[in-house]
Amino acid sequence: MKPRALPDTNLPPYSGGRKEMIGAAVAGAAGLLLTLIGAAFSPQRALLAYLIAWVYWLGLAIGAITLVMGHHAAGARWNVSIRRFSETIGATIPLFAVLFIPLLLGARHVWFWVSPHEPVAKEMHELLQHKRPYLNLGFFTLRAVFYFALWTAFGWLLRAWSLRQDDTADPAFTVRARWWSPPGLLLFAITFTFGAFDWLMSLQPTWYSTIFGLYIYIGSFVSSVALLCLVITGVRSSGSPLGTVISVDQQHNAGKLLFAFTVFWAYMAFSQYMLIWAGNLPEELQWIVVRSRGVWRPVGILILVGHFVVPFFLLLSRDLKRSPPALGGIAAWMLVIHYIDLYWVVMPAVEGSSLGLHWTHLTAFVGVGGLAVAAALFLFRAARPVPVGDPFLQDSLRYVQP
Amino acid sequence: MRRFVLGQFTEAAACVEAVRKLREQGVPGLDAHSPRPMHGIDDALALPRSKVPIVALTGGVLGALGGYSLQWYLNSKAYPINVGSRPPHGFWTNIPITFESGVLIAVLSIFFGSIFVFFGLPRTYHPLFESERFRTACLDAYWISAETGDENAVPELEKKFREAGAHKVHTVVERI
Repeated sequence: MKPRALPDTNLPPYSGGRKEMIGAAVAGAAGLLLTLIGAAFSPQRALLAYLIAWVYWLGLAIGAITLVMGHHAAGARWNVSIRRFSETIGATIPLFAVLFIPLLLGARHVWFWVSPHEPVAKEMHELLQHKRPYLNLGFFTLRAVFYFALWTAFGWLLRAWSLRQDDTADPAFTVRARWWSPPGLLLFAITFTFGAFDWLMSLQPTWYSTIFGLYIYIGSFVSSVALLCLVITGVRSSGSPLGTVISVDQQHNAGKLLFAFTVFWAYMAFSQYMLIWAGNLPEELQWIVVRSRGVWRPVGILILVGHFVVPFFLLLSRDLKRSPPALGGIAAWMLVIHYIDLYWVVMPAVEGSSLGLHWTHLTAFVGVGGLAVAAALFLFRAARPVPVGDPFLQDSLRYVQP
Repeated sequence: MRRFVLGQFTEAAACVEAVRKLREQGVPGLDAHSPRPMHGIDDALALPRSKVPIVALTGGVLGALGGYSLQWYLNSKAYPINVGSRPPHGFWTNIPITFESGVLIAVLSIFFGSIFVFFGLPRTYHPLFESERFRTACLDAYWISAETGDENAVPELEKKFREAGAHKVHTVVERI
């Protein structure tokens, strides 16, 4: 067999997508403005919608950094030519720090514990007093500042090192990224767990589940891998020069990751549910009971089937993972079902009997998402689309399925 | 009596290319032997998709069903015990064992299926081992073999092997 001719990787920065970037930014600004108007009329509904959208898009960025760090930690070579996508998405973290400010300003409408305005039962009052040293707005803000400082540092530095390597081709940057990635993974797992505790679990301040943080983290990671699959399949079928540096074998690997972490998400969700079910203790049950009754029951079943059963059996197939439209379709569905999953986590905390669907859910999603997409496109257009200086770039281009 | 025409190559890429050429010429019973994985050889030999995934899926599904029914039978039919008023047939608590037994049987069926069906294990001997030179297939050389039952076809095959670029060509005759 003759060695495969390697594609040209010396591509200039992506010049298209300017219209899309401006469109996304305008849609984002309009969405946020409409959400603000919604917040003026019903602050709680609009801010909860905003919280879901913010966690959703933040999770995509966190998941992208996790993927980059995971590959550095594992010493992976196959992914080098598609790594710039994840690095770019991960570098949008500072945007989410800014977008957290509206949540802080309206905190008392979102998190019950900020100012327990309604008359509460004695036990509830005592529990909230007991949790006061942790659940108070000052420490809450301080923690968020710490998380974002850490995430920004990792997201930004991993991209910056990779960009400097483009010019210098110095392997020292790879060594540095590989040194920092394992502690980074550990720090991300801990900080995002606490982030999920602070922002989502404390919506029902008397409930606790130690695995909850990882449940949200892995859900975000799955959707981030789904986003990567969507980007890869999109670029490959678009016929652009960038598509030639992504092989079907790399797409296959991204599909395998999507499959593996879909199973891991189910493992997390199941571990949480089964232990609560078997334990049968009132203080643990409240969260599940609300979410398995009335209108929330079909939503929960939809998540079980749509987030695990169907993608699991579809992604078992090798042919589906290697077909751009099929993998792209499954990835798009995973991005939809992750929103439904977060909706199911957040909304029953305040809505017991109805879905609580409000038009701000759409505007907040478009608002945060539009700005995030615009920021990612801006960063992507600012640098080379392929890390040309990476010492393992050639290996990734030669990669074939074992 | 089967005969095996053997051709030796020093380069993996040349070996893969020769296999492709020979197969396209319609040489039957081709096989390749190498001390390390050769990329593209499946394609050159036009091997069908591996059957291992089907074995694994069948084993996994049977194992999961078996694991679940075992728990269902033991916990709710044979020895129903009331533990804190929990139902004797608890779907959710049965899942971990179902998963584990599914994985276990899938892995065992891959292992034993491969060994006894695909590798043909009880047979530890192959006529190719008669050739002393063929031992380099475990060290540093790449080999192609073509199996034939027809004694008269051997010279023609040896010629085709040489034309395909094999450095050394010889033929092994099955003794037993």
